[in-house]
Amino acid sequence: MDILSHLTPLFFGLIAAGTLIGIIFGAIPGMTATMAVAVCLPLTYAFGLENGIALLLGLYVGGISGGMVPAVLLNIPGTPSSITTTFDGYPMAQRGEGERALKTGIVASIFGGLFSAAVLFFFAPVLSDFAIQFSNVEKFLIILLALTVIASLCSNMLMGIFSGVLGVWLSLIGTYSIMDGGNGETRLMFDWMEYHLIDGFSLLPVLIGIFGLTTVLLDAENGFKDEAAQGPISLKNGKRFSFGVFKGQLTNLVRSSGIGTFVGMLPGVGGSAASVLAYSQEKNFSRDSSQMGKGAPQGIVSSESSNNALTGGALVPLLSLGIPGDSTTAILIGAFTLQGIQVGPLFIGNNLDTWYLMIIALVVANFLMFGIMYFAIRRIAKVVEVPKYILYPLIIMMCVVGAYAINYGIMFDVWTLLIFGLFGWVAHKIGLEVVPLIIGFILGKSAEVYFVKSLESYGNFSIFFTKSPIAMVLWALIAVSLAFAIYLRLRNRRETRTTTVS
Amino acid sequence: MESHWLSLLDVSIDFDQSHLFFPRIVTWVLVILLGLILVTRYRRVMPGIQRAGRVLAGREGHFDHKRFFGTLILTTLYFYLMGVLSDVFPNTGYSFLIMSVVFVLSLSLLYLDRFTPRLLTIVILNALIAPTLAWYVLSQLFRITLP
Amino acid sequence: MRTNWSKTSLALLASAAMGLGATAQAADDCPLPGNLRVVIGSTSTGGDTYQNSSIVVDHLAEKLDINAKVDAVGAMAGFRALERSRHGNTVMIFHDQSYLGNLYGVNGYPDIFADYQIGPTVAINPGNAYLVPKDSPYQNLQEIIDAAGNGEQVRVAIQPGGVSEIGFSALKNAVRLQYPGQEGNIVAVNTGSQADKNQLLFDGAVDVINGSVQANEQYTQLPEDDQKAMRFVWLTAREDTIEQTNEAGMGDTSREQLLAYVAPNVSVPMNEGADENFTFDKEFFFLYNKDMDPAAIDCIDNALAEIYDEGGIQEQQKRSFFVPDFKPSAEAASYLEQKRDQYESIIDNLDG
Repeated sequence: MDILSHLTPLFFGLIAAGTLIGIIFGAIPGMTATMAVAVCLPLTYAFGLENGIALLLGLYVGGISGGMVPAVLLNIPGTPSSITTTFDGYPMAQRGEGERALKTGIVASIFGGLFSAAVLFFFAPVLSDFAIQFSNVEKFLIILLALTVIASLCSNMLMGIFSGVLGVWLSLIGTYSIMDGGNGETRLMFDWMEYHLIDGFSLLPVLIGIFGLTTVLLDAENGFKDEAAQGPISLKNGKRFSFGVFKGQLTNLVRSSGIGTFVGMLPGVGGSAASVLAYSQEKNFSRDSSQMGKGAPQGIVSSESSNNALTGGALVPLLSLGIPGDSTTAILIGAFTLQGIQVGPLFIGNNLDTWYLMIIALVVANFLMFGIMYFAIRRIAKVVEVPKYILYPLIIMMCVVGAYAINYGIMFDVWTLLIFGLFGWVAHKIGLEVVPLIIGFILGKSAEVYFVKSLESYGNFSIFFTKSPIAMVLWALIAVSLAFAIYLRLRNRRETRTTTVS
Repeated sequence: MESHWLSLLDVSIDFDQSHLFFPRIVTWVLVILLGLILVTRYRRVMPGIQRAGRVLAGREGHFDHKRFFGTLILTTLYFYLMGVLSDVFPNTGYSFLIMSVVFVLSLSLLYLDRFTPRLLTIVILNALIAPTLAWYVLSQLFRITLP
Repeated sequence: MRTNWSKTSLALLASAAMGLGATAQAADDCPLPGNLRVVIGSTSTGGDTYQNSSIVVDHLAEKLDINAKVDAVGAMAGFRALERSRHGNTVMIFHDQSYLGNLYGVNGYPDIFADYQIGPTVAINPGNAYLVPKDSPYQNLQEIIDAAGNGEQVRVAIQPGGVSEIGFSALKNAVRLQYPGQEGNIVAVNTGSQADKNQLLFDGAVDVINGSVQANEQYTQLPEDDQKAMRFVWLTAREDTIEQTNEAGMGDTSREQLLAYVAPNVSVPMNEGADENFTFDKEFFFLYNKDMDPAAIDCIDNALAEIYDEGGIQEQQKRSFFVPDFKPSAEAASYLEQKRDQYESIIDNLDG
């Protein structure tokens, strides 16, 4: 047995180290799973392929999971895919249920992680054949579907849509890059801005600017009263966690994990869309979604199970086509090329041992993540008791590191942090909605590429409706998603009216 | 008939101008939405802007000018000086280290309400230890490029 | 990168035993900083630029006894970083894209020969390839040229404005030479990553794609009834470049088989007399700030010369399907400028 000889203490030690470091990276605002993997990539060269991959998979799983910690406790998503965790996690934390929220998230995470690992193991080649049926047209429709969730996530429809479109607009600033098949020309700027803006604004600095720096500015504006300075939230009161939270959540878990896995599988759609889609589908289809956005555990369940399901999903095209499914697996591919191994359609068949070891590493990483986080969470949650005069300067400092390091050392990304921190503050004041804006920003660039490329190929708008049965199904989903959003909105309005009357 | 209608949807994109195609559509949608917002909420927009102006000018409401603008100015200085200093100590992260110590200390002091010796000690120790630790772990152990 | 522990320490021991003197001397007259930043023109850490740069930079750092780190900042940010670094704290490693982008008039690409100092070349990636679906009617490149010459439209998926487009331009030029006026039948479908190009082929939206031996070889091994199956029709590398690769070739394709797809077996004439075939080797080389200290330039040249003399690096490069190709700065500069002029004439011919 060749595989057994690889299952050394070093192998498991590296998974554990990776998971732990990943969780720490994910949990620090500004640092992400992608960065953790990028930073440790050069290390893998010395370890050899199997051990190196074990380390990176640990980092990947840990980093995605760790992202929930600042999302719940500080309202700052630790990675882009934990945006939706803030919706219900932070309100829970404000009620003193931070620990409960985190534990709910951890259980959902391991479910999503194992679900997608199983899908990866049993169906990878079949699914990759299905994934290549998605051409530019279908990918654009998936993005459109993800954008329609804005309608169900915003508090005011008109402002929400405006914010979403503004997010798309902001993402288009920069060049229509030749790396995406564009012509390399700049747009939406003046010539004198070109020096700095040629690559546009990067997602991570925008995200941590709008969530991190804006939070600091809003609190600074209020001044720091004595009680606030003592630490924002107490952990003493509030409901305790019990597995009873998951009663009736099986559909949610499976649906969200399924969405996460599937979106992860589609190269170029953007991993962050997974949790957004899963969250809004839970909102639309669950029996009672009235509490979502106000601190309902089901929101955390859908968000965290889907973003962890992304891990297995994004590995599907990587290992069966040689194409990374998201930004983190795009770095993971480096571990293979550095060892001189090509991933492609024959990879699994030619490297069965490596393939089994990767599945083992993925499963073990999920259990380790669960073990580490579940039992350390009480200590981690204490971060909310740190006084703000200590916490906030450090958050800004770490955001600087994150912004500067995400593109391997670009000073403009740090300025982006400030620009969007200030922008987020203004947005709060004039009633723009930040979450639709970020969703628009995340999806805007790929929406453009797939939209324009589809039209360049077919030369007619009708292609979006007639391209394939898949396209028609996607339109049906878009229609249903919009209809539900409007229906729920009307119902809520009626309910609030009746309650105010009575 | 049908093909006649479909040809209305024909579009041809000149590659040299293709960078403007999608942004134009988005810009128009944005302008139309802005128009809608202004029309439907005109009554609320104008007073809102006026109130925001008064608050900023400090004539109304609670607004901690010292801390808000202090945060903005300190952050701007932090970023700017970090860039300048990184040309003096290239590729070492020293610029990040030095400026972070200064920044964390001054922002903490700005946010502190009372200055007791105990609090001051905590703040100063924090400003010295935390950036050093971050610098050591990230720049030295993980070899992340820092300013 | 100091992270390469076990290997580094081994190699250090070895070099300490054999030639401590040489190493120390190389490090002595070097006005290079203790922390060297190497930016690359690609944002990907999974691509060939990063892979090759990290091999070279590892050896260089060890030889000069400095810390060096590869940062995948991308072309624009890389050029900017280079401009700001007058004292040689930052150097860049990039490939032919750097001047091809300028030739194709891509926004933001400067004339590297005027604005920067050209450093030594270090390696060739011989993998630039063109592929068709396995069940394509076109058996070879000449059939594609003939088809286009006879009025059939041939759609080719490329990434515009650089390395991916140059072979396409040469193909178009070959049609122009053999069937004047018909070159418009070779149509570019501009797209992005390798995944996007493959996807267009799977969709049947293009007839030919640009790809690489490394990324596409496994697809060529799939059975014909698989939607994903492909076939090489052309490798742009020179014959003697491919001859220097490992005999085993790549994956299940041997070097012998690869040689069938390069000139002169595949002929893409470049000029009227058809006596010279178009070839393109993707070469990696250093770029420096215009004002970089000549002593520092010499120092890197000398260190690399020693590294290549020792021979270890060649093995490592070949294992990763690179062809070692060291030319010191001065030689590299005139060589690359000549190469640029050659491609410029092809692109000009098509414009005119």
